[in-house]
Amino acid sequence: MRAETLKGHLNGILLAVLEPGPRHGYAIMEALRERSAGQVDLPTGTIYPALHRLERAGLVRASWSTVGGRRRRVYELTAAGRRALDTERSTWRDFSAAVTALLQPLPLAVSPQ
Amino acid sequence: MSCPGTPAPGTDPAVERYLAEIAAQLPGSRAARSGIVTELRSGLLDAMDAYCSAGLPLAAAVHAAISEFGDPAQVAAGFRTEIAAGLARRAAVAVLVTGPLVGTLWIVAAVASHVAPHWQWADLSPGLKVGVPLIAIAAAVTAGGALFGIAATGRLTRWLPALPCQAPAAAAVAGFGAVGADAVGLALLGVQLATAAGTLSPWPAAAAAAASVARLLFARRAARRCLTVRAGLT
Repeated sequence: MRAETLKGHLNGILLAVLEPGPRHGYAIMEALRERSAGQVDLPTGTIYPALHRLERAGLVRASWSTVGGRRRRVYELTAAGRRALDTERSTWRDFSAAVTALLQPLPLAVSPQ
Repeated sequence: MSCPGTPAPGTDPAVERYLAEIAAQLPGSRAARSGIVTELRSGLLDAMDAYCSAGLPLAAAVHAAISEFGDPAQVAAGFRTEIAAGLARRAAVAVLVTGPLVGTLWIVAAVASHVAPHWQWADLSPGLKVGVPLIAIAAAVTAGGALFGIAATGRLTRWLPALPCQAPAAAAVAGFGAVGADAVGLALLGVQLATAAGTLSPWPAAAAAAASVARLLFARRAARRCLTVRAGLT
C-alpha cells in the first residue's frame, strides 16, 4: 500500500501503533508492517517527519533514550493523542461503513417480460 | 540483535553518506539537523540489525536498510516542512512577546520626556502625530502575522488544515511588521533629537532605542530566514 493511498490516514495509523505503549521510530515501522500483514510498507524515512508533526500538534511526546550505545527518540501518546485516536476510529468506522454500503453490488434488476 | 561486526553509530560510510545527503538538504540550525540525523541513524542501524537477523550479510543489510528508508530528497522534504514550522513558530513567538516589552520602554521614555504632558493628542508634535498611527498599524500587522504563525504551527494543527507555506510567510510578515514599528520609533527619536534634544529624558530614551535596535535586527534576520525556508518548500 503506497503513501498516496494512506494520505489522510497516516496520523491515525501512527497513533494506533503507539496505543499499546512507547516505541522508537523503527519499532513503529515494524509494528505498521506487522499489524497490516505487510500491506503498509512506506519508505521508513518518511515516518519520522510524520512523527515530528504529531509531536508538534501535541498528540505524541518524544524523549531521547540510549540503549546499547544507540540514541533513540522514543514516542508515546499524550492524552490528546488518545482522544484524537478515538475520533479517528469513529470517523473511519462511519466512512468505511458508508463506502462499503455504496460499493456493495446491487441485485440485478429483472427485465420485464 | 546486532550484526556480527556491526559498525558503531556514525562509522558506516554508506549510512553516513546517505545521512549527509539528507542533512545537506535541510535548513535550520546545526543542532536541529544533528537531532534529525541522530534519530535517522539509529533507525538505519535498527533496520540493519533486522536484516542481519533475517540472515543477510552485513553489506547487504546496509544496502537493504538504506533502500528501505527511501529517497533522501523525499525524507528531507518531509523534515523541511517540520523545520520551517519550528522556525516560523519561534520567530512569531519572539516578535509577539518582545513587542509589548519594547513598546513599554518607548512609553516610559515618552512619559519621562513629557512628549504629551496632559495625555492629549493635541500635545503631540507633528512628527509623533504621523509616527504613532504608523507604529499602531505596524504593531497590528505584527500581531496578526504572529498569531496566525503560532496557530498554524502548534496544537491548533490538530483541527486546522496543514499550512506548510503559509506559516513561515505569516511569521515573515510579523517580522517585517516588527522591523517597521521599530524603525518608525527610532526615526521619531531621531527627529526629536534633531529638533528638541533638550526635552528628551536620556536614559529611558537610550534604553528604548537599544531595545528597538536589537529587536529590529533580530526580527529582520528571523523574517528573512522564514522566507528562505518557505522558498525551500515550494
